[in-house]
Formats: sequence, structure tokens, C-alpha cells
Amino acid sequence: MTENPAVCPSLWPQCTRALKAELSEQQFNTWIRPLQAVEEGSVLTLLAPNRFVIDWVKQHCLDLISAELRSAPNSGSASVVLEVGSRRKLSATESRNPPLPKLGPSEPKVIGSPLNSLFTFDQFVEGKSNQLARAAAVQVGTNPGHAYNPLFIYGGVGLGKTHLMHAIGNVILRRKPTARVAYIHSERFVSDMVRGLQHNKISAFKKTYRTLDALLIDDIQFFAGKERSQEEFFHTFNALLEGQRQIVLTCDRYPKEVVGLEERLKSRFGWGLTVAIEPPELETSVAILMSKAAAEHCQLPEEVAFFIAQRIRSNVRELEGALRRVMANSRFTGQPITLQFTKDALRDLLALQEKLVTIENIQKTVAGYFKIRVADLLAKRRSRSITRPRQIAMSLAKELTTHSLPEIGDAFGGRDHTTVLHACRRVKFLGETETRIAEDYANLLRTLSG
Amino acid sequence: MAQIPLPIRLDIYARFSTFVAGENQVVLDHLLGISADQRAQILWIWGPSGSGKSHLLQALCASENDSGRSAIYLPMKNPGLPGPGVLDGLEALDFVAIDDVAQIAGVSDWEYALFALYNELLTQDGCLLMAASRPPSVIAFSLPDLASRAAGAVVYRLEPLDEDAALVALKEHASCRGLELPDASAHYLMRHVERNMSALCGSLEKLDVASMVSQRRLTVPFIRDVLEI
Repeated sequence: MTENPAVCPSLWPQCTRALKAELSEQQFNTWIRPLQAVEEGSVLTLLAPNRFVIDWVKQHCLDLISAELRSAPNSGSASVVLEVGSRRKLSATESRNPPLPKLGPSEPKVIGSPLNSLFTFDQFVEGKSNQLARAAAVQVGTNPGHAYNPLFIYGGVGLGKTHLMHAIGNVILRRKPTARVAYIHSERFVSDMVRGLQHNKISAFKKTYRTLDALLIDDIQFFAGKERSQEEFFHTFNALLEGQRQIVLTCDRYPKEVVGLEERLKSRFGWGLTVAIEPPELETSVAILMSKAAAEHCQLPEEVAFFIAQRIRSNVRELEGALRRVMANSRFTGQPITLQFTKDALRDLLALQEKLVTIENIQKTVAGYFKIRVADLLAKRRSRSITRPRQIAMSLAKELTTHSLPEIGDAFGGRDHTTVLHACRRVKFLGETETRIAEDYANLLRTLSG
Repeated sequence: MAQIPLPIRLDIYARFSTFVAGENQVVLDHLLGISADQRAQILWIWGPSGSGKSHLLQALCASENDSGRSAIYLPMKNPGLPGPGVLDGLEALDFVAIDDVAQIAGVSDWEYALFALYNELLTQDGCLLMAASRPPSVIAFSLPDLASRAAGAVVYRLEPLDEDAALVALKEHASCRGLELPDASAHYLMRHVERNMSALCGSLEKLDVASMVSQRRLTVPFIRDVLEI
């Protein structure tokens, strides 16, 4: 059996040569390259990733492939079969993660996606913004089904929810290698269920999910509005909880705030422990960068880490993207990572941010956020509904731009620089005493620097 | 009598060996190293039209395929592309290249499909390379989860070629077509055709067909006639 188009000695390379001559380069790259050829006896099986690829190849290329097979020397009565499938990738992930123990013959053998073994608690950098979530996750990993059930972790995108979820799964499996742990994105849960319904295998689907030791479902906000999936998940949830099996859920917001989610689910999500992950403070961002760089055996000067962390505040994922870019530039140019090198490597990203973060843009964004007019921010009015957004906008202008206090005062209807200074101090004080103000400020900061 | 060109396609042109890097050597080096690196990778390259994005995406597809790895190139501007279902199952491949990805911004079904593909590829150590004319942070994705994932990619800007490098690239492209492009003609094209590689290569394709039909060399008067400059 020949499995690889690159080393296949006979039929498929001949077919691809003919197809290259007939198709445009783009067509070849889109529809022929994803095919994986398997030759067995006189049958050439072409595995395609989905039915759309099969349909296109059937419609445009099947005659040509068949003709090539007929003309090939010693091919006899060779035939071609097209089907959806894939040679399995032998990847690092697979070798790291053994498949789940086998289930009954009618059930899928692998549930969900493999756990990423690099996502561990050791690799998770702890700070004020995430320490509660991490502590709860460690408890759940070491004492599944008993500590907090379900564990509900919520927070904005790219803050480490998925990392914690994988870390829980990895600990459970390390402590009990035969445990049946499934990590799955809620979108995938929905599509698996739809497939189960379509192919009359819903009972196998139910049994598969309801007999797990731990179910880790990511981004459950995607269940919103999908009633049938919620119904199925509700029963899965109950079955697992009754059997003292662990459930971990992540979401981009507090469960009660997910629109389109049934009340009974929202209420059940609150039975265990609900913890938030906030955007990291500057020091945590720096620690994350240093830790990621160390994991890649890269010497990252602290001033560079501070430089990147100060400029990219939206989320950890973007922070890591910037770091990877700097490291890749260093690796491929052979230059050490210095502050100047980092500025050069990220120059388009930084230029873009500076372009976006102007005082005018801050005023527009803040006015939009509080549903007032920009003109109100610049006017003399001193009612609290206007003063508070104005102070926040001034404080943001101080933090995100290089303008001086007098310049900022000028841009806000010709105010004195001491007014700006007072605004900055006031916002700092209110941020420490009123959660709502702190949240508003953090949201605006993310929007403007994201 | 004019010769009728046979409907035979060129051999594959978009290869790393035919990419003139100019100031983009770091990007090229990174892409050349992808096959050797078995870890999941998410990359985003952006730059103006004609800066070589599609060339690099297709070159990487070809190179991956030549090394026995599975790959696909999906140009989102192609009207012949079926719906978002075409992204189903692509996580089973080693490499997925999505060109003009900004086309799907704001289109809910496509965004969800790309988001799901991203998640699956990441857990299966696949590689996703996206290209657009702008960086991810300014693409108006409506799904915040997708926007944040795109922004976390390793992002490279492709710098357009300067005049000398563009001239080399133009002659390289002509040579791949088996055309002899004299220096005077190449300079003439550079001066009179829009200065980006897409436009220049498009003109060269027209000239290729016209030269075959009329059996003439690519002289300046011939170019002027064909392109009606």
C-alpha cells in the first residue's frame, strides 16, 4: 500500500502531472493538493478533507484521472475511489496524548480534541488577575468531581481560560491515566450532536458523553440560541453531576449575562464555583513574556518585556503573538533581542496603535461607551453623568498617548492642566473603590489598545 | 496565419525559488522553516496588492506537498468557492493557507467555521497561514474570539519590492513562461504599467498569449501595441 503522494511510485504522480497541465495553478493548489492518495492493488483511493473537495474533483477531474489510470502501463483495470478521510497525522500532540480508552463498538473512540500537554499549571503565570481561577483549577485537577463542581471560569478573550482547562485535564490524566477526559469546544459539541441526529446515532452520542470522568467544555457562550443542544447538554450535565464526574466550563462572560441560554442551565452553572479571569496587570504581562521566552530558550531582556507589555494590553494571546514575532525576527536575522531591535520588529504594529490612539479617538470611544455626545465631553457641563466619562477620557489620554497635561486639557475644551491631573487622580481613586468604574476603565483601555 | 495557442497551462510558477524576497527575507526564512517545525503555527502576512502574498501562500503549499505533507490553498476572493463547509475537516491536513481572509470578516457562518478550524488545527499541531491586505488588529471580525486569535498570530508585513528587485522578479516571471524579455522592454513595462507585481505579471500574461499568436518577440513597439499604452 502506498500512502504518500510524494513517494507514490506510479499512478498518482502521473495523474497529478496531467492535472497540473489541465488546471490553473490556483485550482490545483485548492482542490488537488489536499488529496491524499492510497494505492491498494488496482484501486487508487483519494482521501479528501470534505465533500466539497470530492464534489469539485468529481465534476472537473474524474474523467482525466480515469483516463490517466487507463493509459498507465501495467495498470490493468485500475479504478479510482474518492472518499472523505485522512491519513492520520503523526504529530507531536498525538504522541503526547494517548487516545481515550476504547468504548463500545458503536461509539466514537476519540471524543473532542487532544489536550495540549504544554498547557500546564507550571506554565501558567499567576498574577492578581487570575490567581483565584488558577487556585480553583488546581483543586479541581487534584480532586475531580469533589472540589468544585462545576467549575465555571469566565473572562475576556485570550486571558488563559483554555490554558487552565487543559491544565486541569492534564493533571487528571497524570494522576489517573485511565480516566476518560474529554476536552471539547462547545461548537464541536453542537456539530457532533447534529451529526449524531443526522446519522441516527444520538444514543451513542449520549452514552459517550454521559460516561466520561471529566468533561471540559470551552466557550459555552456558543450554546446561546441553540435550544436542542442546550437540552442535550442539560441532560449530560445532570448525568455527570449525579455520578460525581467533573465538569469544567469556560465562557466569555458571567453565566447570568449569556443571552439565549436557558435559565435552568444558568442556574446549574452556578452550583459549583464561578471564578473570573481579568486582564493581566503590567507586572503579570511582563512575567508572562519572560516565562514564554524562557520556555523557548530565548534571552529576553526585562526592559524589552516591559516595552512590549506596556504597548499591548488587550490580551495575553496578542502579547504572545508579538513576542513570537520578535523571537522569530531574532532567530532568522541572527541578531540579539534589544529594545531597538524590538521596536524595529514591531514597528508596523506600534505605528498602527499610535495611529489609533489619538485624543480624538479616545473622546469618540468614551462618548460611544457612555452613550453621550463628544460635544458633552468638551462642554462646561458639570453633571456627574458627563463629568465621570470626561475624567475617564482624560485619564485614558494621559495613559495611552504621549501628550502633555496642558495639551490634553486644551483638547478637552480648553481646560487647565490641573483639571486633567485631578481627573487622573480621581479615576485612580474611584477605580480602587468602585468596581463599576474599574470595569469601565479596563474595558475602554482594552478597546483602545487592542 | 495566426497560431492558435494550445490550452496548456504553465508548469507551477509560485515556488519559493521564484520568489524575489527584497526586504522580505525574514518572512521567507520563517516560511522555509515551517516544514521542519512540527509544532502548531499560526501566521498572518499582510501587505498591499502585488506584494507577493498569494505567491508565498501557494509556494508554501507546493513545498509542503513536495515534502509529503498535505496542504490546501483557499483564496477567499474566488467566487467559485462553496460555502463555509469547505473548511470542514481541514484540520486533518498539515498546512492550510487562506488568502484574502478579510473577505469573510463580518460573515457570521464563515467566521464560525474559521474559528472552529483554528481551534482544531492548534490542538493537532497544524499550521495556518492567513493573508490579507491589512493586519489582523484592524480587520472587522464580528466574532471577538476569532479577532483575538487572529491578533495572536505571528504577523509579518510584506514590503513591496523596490525598482531593482521588481525588475529581477519581472524577468524571473518572464523566464518561467519561457519568454525572452529584453532589458529595454522590461524597463518600458516598469515605467508604463502599474507598479505592483500583480499588474506586471498580468501584463506579461497578455503579452505571452499575444506573442505566441503573432509569433513576435517582446519588443517595445510590440508591447505598446498589445497593451495599448
